Amino acid sequence: MSISKQDLLQLADGWLAQGKQLIGPKRVKDGLIQYARLEKASDLLLDGFLRPANSIKEAVFPRHEVLYRYRVDGKRIELIDEEFTPPETLVLGARPCDAAAFPILDPLFNWDYRDEFWNRRRAAATVVTVACETHDEHCFCTSVGLAPDAARGADAVLYPLGDAHFAIRQVTARGEALFGQRQDEDWPPAPPGPPVRFDSERVTSFLAANFESPFWRAATLSCLGCGACAYNCPVCHCFDIIDEKKARVRNWDACQFGLFTLHASGHNPRNTQPERQRQRLQHKFRIYREKFGEILCTGCGNCTRNCPAGLGVLNVLEAMPHG
Amino acid sequence: MDNVYKPHLMTVLEVRRHTPDVKSVRVTFQDEALRENFSFRVGQFGIFSAFGAGESTFNICSSSNWRGYLDFCFRKTGRVTEALWGVEEGDVIGFRGPYGNWYPMEQWEGKNLIFLGGGIAMPPIRCAIWYALENRARYGDITIVYGARTVKDLVFTSDLDEWEQHERVRVIRCVDPGGETPDWTGEIGFVPHVFERSAVPAENSVALVIGPPVMIKFTLPVLDRMGMRPGDIYTSLENRMKCGIGKCGRCNAGGCYVCKEGPVFSLEQLQKLPQDY
Repeated sequence: MSISKQDLLQLADGWLAQGKQLIGPKRVKDGLIQYARLEKASDLLLDGFLRPANSIKEAVFPRHEVLYRYRVDGKRIELIDEEFTPPETLVLGARPCDAAAFPILDPLFNWDYRDEFWNRRRAAATVVTVACETHDEHCFCTSVGLAPDAARGADAVLYPLGDAHFAIRQVTARGEALFGQRQDEDWPPAPPGPPVRFDSERVTSFLAANFESPFWRAATLSCLGCGACAYNCPVCHCFDIIDEKKARVRNWDACQFGLFTLHASGHNPRNTQPERQRQRLQHKFRIYREKFGEILCTGCGNCTRNCPAGLGVLNVLEAMPHG
Repeated sequence: MDNVYKPHLMTVLEVRRHTPDVKSVRVTFQDEALRENFSFRVGQFGIFSAFGAGESTFNICSSSNWRGYLDFCFRKTGRVTEALWGVEEGDVIGFRGPYGNWYPMEQWEGKNLIFLGGGIAMPPIRCAIWYALENRARYGDITIVYGARTVKDLVFTSDLDEWEQHERVRVIRCVDPGGETPDWTGEIGFVPHVFERSAVPAENSVALVIGPPVMIKFTLPVLDRMGMRPGDIYTSLENRMKCGIGKCGRCNAGGCYVCKEGPVFSLEQLQKLPQDY
């Protein structure tokens, strides 16, 4: 049994009416569609666009988060735990390349030390994706093992049926809880995804063999170091910890910034932009794979679309010899 | 909620000023159970914090045999160390840790130990020296070569004096040419040169070399000429860290996370890592 767009929006309004949080694609201003917190379901954008310019990671990994607060009273210091109960959140209308980010990042946030900020937000989030009907020249999900209707990380996948209806594929118990008895028996065949652009195994081998290579300078010297690739990436997760307003907070950070690795002595292991680009690609396609068996990339293409210098993962990989 | 980023509160017991811009601080856990039970291994590090300024990563430079307190040492160079510079006895700071791996002190048993340090790198060597001296029978001859730019840049000099009193310990102090004072009785020269002309026997030895990159660069060939194998030469990396627990994404050298797989590496291991540190 499919669901009409109208019923879907009604379901979303019902979610909001329970005081819960709704996140989905929204036209935040002319020419810019982003995942954003929605006050009403009618703001939700479900069709007529490729993908939002940012990612859904903010739903689980906020760009700014208080880790704990403290009170200073002369020589006495008291740590105040954040009463951390994340709001129940529905991410509705996510792209499959966004949803896949969460299971990819789970092992990192639980590598020996369990990051409960991540885990609790994860547990409180329901992710409903809409299978992609279109793709552009920057999309490459099929090159990293995903697909336009990949269910990874999604609690339910919606398939557009073309008449303002969606077929529902429930993936997890959370998806079932949301849609109840509406599970469809079958859903339309997967829409054609982007062509495979590179062989990720060969990329990983190239990276392992070519840490030092003239390739890096030739291919990435044009990087401006703005960090837009990382901030809009579904799986870039690097962060900084600083003190702010009597709290210790974590903020998103990016390996493209010169200060990221600068030592107090003035020494900087990654002193130039090509070295920082190399780190980004090495981390995504080799280091993370060696550590956690996952490619740290979902092929969403956001890095390229947001790059003022025409770089981004796909362009760099395609420039790679044997890439 | 179990919060892996939340520090323990520690009270400052003592502050030592070593140079115009280097201090060490001795702190004790406010929590009584931790004070009794906290343990670490020499070579591990902590994330220390000044509330209102932030966190910084320092080696725990006291011996792991000393119970109830620990030491760390820093140079005043940035926002956090400026704030830590101002702490006095009774002040409270934050500590997370211990993190990282440690010096393989058991593996070094039965060997002669050569410690080579430059400038502010004495603290991460100090913990190992005290540990070795407290287990004196397990180790052979101990040679300590410690240098700094000028006489006033040497840190933990009273520790050097104490170490010298122990049997089979040779302490060689040096300062860069021009850094000596009229009453300086130590050597004049750079650590690698002073070390080479000191003719320290290399047989059955391990070396721990920590210092600025330039010192390490010129010390390694000396050790090589002495016939020491890369597997017997160790150092401690000091890549910039934020979380200390493998998540924040900046301390890696190639595929190796210094916070979790380091900071202690043998030269043999380092030679397999790319130049990313």
